[in-house]
Amino acid sequence: MHISTTGGRKISGNRLLRQLFGRFLRAINVSFWVMVISFMMIRFSPGDPAIARLGGGAEQAAIDALRKELKLDVNPLQQLISYIVDLFHGDLGTSLQFGSDVFETIQRTLPLTLTYIFFSSFFALLLSIPIGVVLGWTNKASLVYIYRSVTSVIIATPNFFIAMLGILFFSVRHNWAPVFGYIAEFPQNLKFLWLPVAINTLIMTAIISRVLQSSVVDTKGEEFVETGIIRGVSRPRFFWYYILKPSMAPTVVLMSYMMGTMLGATVILETIFTLPGIGRELVGAVLASDYPLVQGILLFFGIITVLLSFLGDLCAYLLDRRVKL
Amino acid sequence: MIAKIRNFAERPGGFGILFGIGMFAFIALAGILYPLFGPYKADEFVGDSFAPPSWAHPFGLDQLGRDVLSRTLTAVPSDIGVAFLGVTIPLAIGTVIGILLAFVKNRFFVSTVSSLIDGINAFPLLIIAIAMLTVMGPGLFNVVIILTLMNWARYARIARTRAIVVMQQNYIEAARLLGYSRKKIIFRHITPNVSSESLAYALSDFILVIIVVSGLSFLGLAARPPAAEWGAMIADGRTYIGDAWWLTIYPGLALCWSAISLSLIVEGLSRRDRGNS
Repeated sequence: MHISTTGGRKISGNRLLRQLFGRFLRAINVSFWVMVISFMMIRFSPGDPAIARLGGGAEQAAIDALRKELKLDVNPLQQLISYIVDLFHGDLGTSLQFGSDVFETIQRTLPLTLTYIFFSSFFALLLSIPIGVVLGWTNKASLVYIYRSVTSVIIATPNFFIAMLGILFFSVRHNWAPVFGYIAEFPQNLKFLWLPVAINTLIMTAIISRVLQSSVVDTKGEEFVETGIIRGVSRPRFFWYYILKPSMAPTVVLMSYMMGTMLGATVILETIFTLPGIGRELVGAVLASDYPLVQGILLFFGIITVLLSFLGDLCAYLLDRRVKL
Repeated sequence: MIAKIRNFAERPGGFGILFGIGMFAFIALAGILYPLFGPYKADEFVGDSFAPPSWAHPFGLDQLGRDVLSRTLTAVPSDIGVAFLGVTIPLAIGTVIGILLAFVKNRFFVSTVSSLIDGINAFPLLIIAIAMLTVMGPGLFNVVIILTLMNWARYARIARTRAIVVMQQNYIEAARLLGYSRKKIIFRHITPNVSSESLAYALSDFILVIIVVSGLSFLGLAARPPAAEWGAMIADGRTYIGDAWWLTIYPGLALCWSAISLSLIVEGLSRRDRGNS
């Protein structure tokens, strides 16, 4: 079986599957290490989780009891094995703060975070495509210079400072967005979500459109673009198939990476806007030394990032078969 | 000297690089000199709470009547200094590990270590730092330790990829044929050629790490409020943002200033690269 590619080269179906499978195995392998690291991270950090939770003045008996509950009293290898066994039963342990199941806590808080990361990425892509294509295609020196200066200022500004400026202008001066609180019902929640989503979108747009712009500039130099012009392909078709599609691969890879980074950044935004997402849960857990919950959230963050990078590579490959998986 | 600088500035990206270096030097010098010669101490009460910016106190006073300018500049060592250590230590460790890894022939060992590196890199830096602070307890010193433990993996990956390319170059082959010792080849011929790429990455990583350090302080996990640190100051001033904007805006601007100065240098260097190719 042969699948012909846009470049005219031919890749046999078997080889394609083998490549995909190889990339998949790598993702599984990395996930395994993510699991081991999230396990080790807390156990081998200087300091004792039980003492951190109970405070320095706690009685030895109470510390020993907690160590037993956290299964810290056996040797590390046994701990790792029981951790992995529990994991395959969907058991991430019990939160020390709430006494609830860690997995359930994550299930409760993760959707909100994922929702607004998804929307931020979607809007960012929607804005980046016209900006990147127009600026990349015209490549007018003065315009590009201004654009690069503005975006580098945005990128260099920490998100919590942008959030502070946003609150100052939209909440304090104009009362267009509430400073804190959250209502989890559909039409009302938009009032609370629009500002954090806008901030995330702004930062992502700055980064993504820059990469898209420079890859459009690169694509413009390729021979097939000239062919397209000579063949007199219609305008929309030309921009879609000859310019945008070949330029998208690096952008998609970057986007999947960015979504992972955004996951980290949400911790700060959720704390500022008091959104009940997984990031705020993490900060709460850290401040309470709730170590099973921290470990569980850490694992989820790692796995999501690995998954995103796998999907990103896959999409990039589908868009441009020259990409190596 | 002046002619040299002018020449440098006229090459592609040169102006941006010089401007960035100037901005960075300005804030670094101000941060070193001000605590020594400045009129007020960071934790000194010098006037009314929430006094707005004036000639005597250009950045105003905070909720306890401390001079915001003094606090902003006193924070330089704990922000830029910590970030600097958090970049240079992992840079050195990661580069050495990456180069050594490029020499290892055992495929099982290499693939295990590479997936360990990928695994570490899978976590956003901020997240892993937050998680480790659970056990270690808050503090800037602990932040440096965490950055050292986690950030080397990115440098190791860059160095290994680059070292594999460098090792196949003709000049390495030539050095080998000349009978140079392995140590000499690694340190005199491979390391300099690998480190140029790592250094370029380190510069943009510096921006990221400054943001991570101040972000951790903002969350109350690195520098704690009485200490002068930009993130902590912003978090502190957050409550009063409606009435006293200067508590948050000035430390934020200092943060932007340092990050932008570095990004000007990064941008200039990458333009220079493109200009030369």
